[in-house]
Amino acid sequence: MNKITEEKIQISKSGALLYLKNPRFSMSALAEEADIKPDQMYEYFSNRRDVLDFFYEGLILEYKESILSIDAYDSFSLSEKLSNLALTILDLMDPYREFVRKTYTDLVVCSSRQTTFDNHFREELKAIYESDKNQSRLSSFLNRGPLYGAGTYNFHLLVRFWLKDESAGSQKTMEFIDKWTVFVEELHYSSILDRGFDVAKFIYYNSPFSNASKGTTS
Amino acid sequence: MSDFPSSKYDRGKIFAKTGLKVGTNYAKHYLKNLRGTDKERNSEFYNQTAEQIFSEFTKLRGTALKIAQSLSIDQGFLPDEFSEVMTQAQYSVPPINRSLVRSIIKRELGSYPEALFESFDTEAIAAASIGQVHAARLKTGEKVAVKIQYPGVRDTIASDLGLAKSLFKRFIKNKAELDGYFEEIESTLRLETDYIHEGETINRFHARFSTDRFETPRWFEEYSTERVLTMSFLEGMHLKEFLDQDPSQEEKDSFGQKIWDFFHEQIHQSDEIHADTHPGNFLLTDDEKLGIIDFGCVKHFPDSFFKDYLLLLPTHLERDIEKIKSLYNRLGVLKGDPETNQTEKKYFEFCLNYGFTFALPYESETFNFGDPDYKELIRGYTKNAPVGNEARGNKHFLYSTRVHLGLYHFLMKLGATVETKKSREIVENRINETVV
Repeated sequence: MNKITEEKIQISKSGALLYLKNPRFSMSALAEEADIKPDQMYEYFSNRRDVLDFFYEGLILEYKESILSIDAYDSFSLSEKLSNLALTILDLMDPYREFVRKTYTDLVVCSSRQTTFDNHFREELKAIYESDKNQSRLSSFLNRGPLYGAGTYNFHLLVRFWLKDESAGSQKTMEFIDKWTVFVEELHYSSILDRGFDVAKFIYYNSPFSNASKGTTS
Repeated sequence: MSDFPSSKYDRGKIFAKTGLKVGTNYAKHYLKNLRGTDKERNSEFYNQTAEQIFSEFTKLRGTALKIAQSLSIDQGFLPDEFSEVMTQAQYSVPPINRSLVRSIIKRELGSYPEALFESFDTEAIAAASIGQVHAARLKTGEKVAVKIQYPGVRDTIASDLGLAKSLFKRFIKNKAELDGYFEEIESTLRLETDYIHEGETINRFHARFSTDRFETPRWFEEYSTERVLTMSFLEGMHLKEFLDQDPSQEEKDSFGQKIWDFFHEQIHQSDEIHADTHPGNFLLTDDEKLGIIDFGCVKHFPDSFFKDYLLLLPTHLERDIEKIKSLYNRLGVLKGDPETNQTEKKYFEFCLNYGFTFALPYESETFNFGDPDYKELIRGYTKNAPVGNEARGNKHFLYSTRVHLGLYHFLMKLGATVETKKSREIVENRINETVV
């Protein structure tokens, strides 16, 4: 991660904290809070909304950076990679929970703009699914946009679950992620879909019923 | 990698599924036995059934797996093949997702393992009922063991014990008394899930047992929370690895003597007793010390109970029937006069003879736990225990018996001959020192 991105992430985090004190904070107030010159601030962000949007984009950038420090990441299974994606982002959100509670729906889920967070999240899902070699043939075939869209939507639901989770250390959320990702992995690794597809294909090309309806002539 | 069933429904479903599998196995077994029995077939059957139960119980982790561990200690109740498979319960639970491990450490200790430690092995070296252990190295270079508690495991205590209690209540007459036993198990399990409590215990044992014969880990408080425990790493061999090396009798005796002395030293020095006498919790370290590695289940028995419990030894050695009878009455084992009540007589005769058998190692200066006749004798008593439909005995027997049986079974498995004279003196001195 380059220095500018690091600085932008720090400013957006300061912005998140400032938002809780005053949702209509000024850019100069943020510059003061982040200990940065206002001119430089405007080089990074054109307005308050940009700052707040970048808070969420920054989470994905930090997540990507964190993967590089995990030695065994390449050996992670599908469920471990999906858990890592969800857990790391929630870990990063944790110190800003109140900000997330107040803004996640408006800035990410129902945003009028096409959010970079959503785009980055879909890209990450694509990278995870497409790099996994243990999936069955049919599930590899299903690795398309709608799958990543559904995955992103599931994450939005997970954030809502996490915001309501009052268990110590968000243990319920951890359990939920564990269960959900194991389920997804089972689906993708299971060859039952392949077998089912083979059967369907066979019946399609060799159906005795289609011949029966036509009748047979000698 | 597997997810953790924490809801009452999930766990109940696994219990039911296990019951169904075991039932099917028994039905098949009896059908086969209609054509005659043989030992090999029985052995295969027990192995298969035990492996299936084990495989289901490992999914449950938590309390249910603790029950499996207890069964592996109290071997008399189970066929050998069964106990062997159940013994694995200590080490061989499927570990949790590696991402979950990272996240738990981050939430508990404030940073991810790669930032916190010089190195952190993402593969667990042991995964047991409540948590799993990872090897790591601190930035100072010291090798440590990091124990991580499974998320939600604390919630399973109440639900699993609730299930077990409702099962027991179906065939136990004195239902009200059952609550006391379950409260004792629940409070012990709750303490086992508090790793700060375990860390403090580690410190106390380290202060007591840092000698040339025993080795206990050191607690790293700054790397520990209620759900993550970091302690120094003890290298060594577990009982199974030790026996696999085909040791000489002298080596077996030396190992056995250390574990025997460890238990009696505890009585001598304090009333805090390591109550999880499972082979997985003891090591023979590289410098031939006894390594003790798990301090989750350490019991502090009340003086009133502990003195009476210890008094069982000299009274049995002296064959003082009246004193023994009075002790069993005080300890809640007898509920009437065995002279006039047939049920009490049955219990008394059993306890008396079992007590004599347990006191046998203290009768002479040395005792050979490898004697197969002794093993059969212990097994015979356990199998023929007068299991009635009522709960009996002081609730503290649950863990004192576990310690005692665990120690004897460890030594029998090891086949060690130990010197017992000094330990008898320790017990007697402790009785004299205890004021109730």
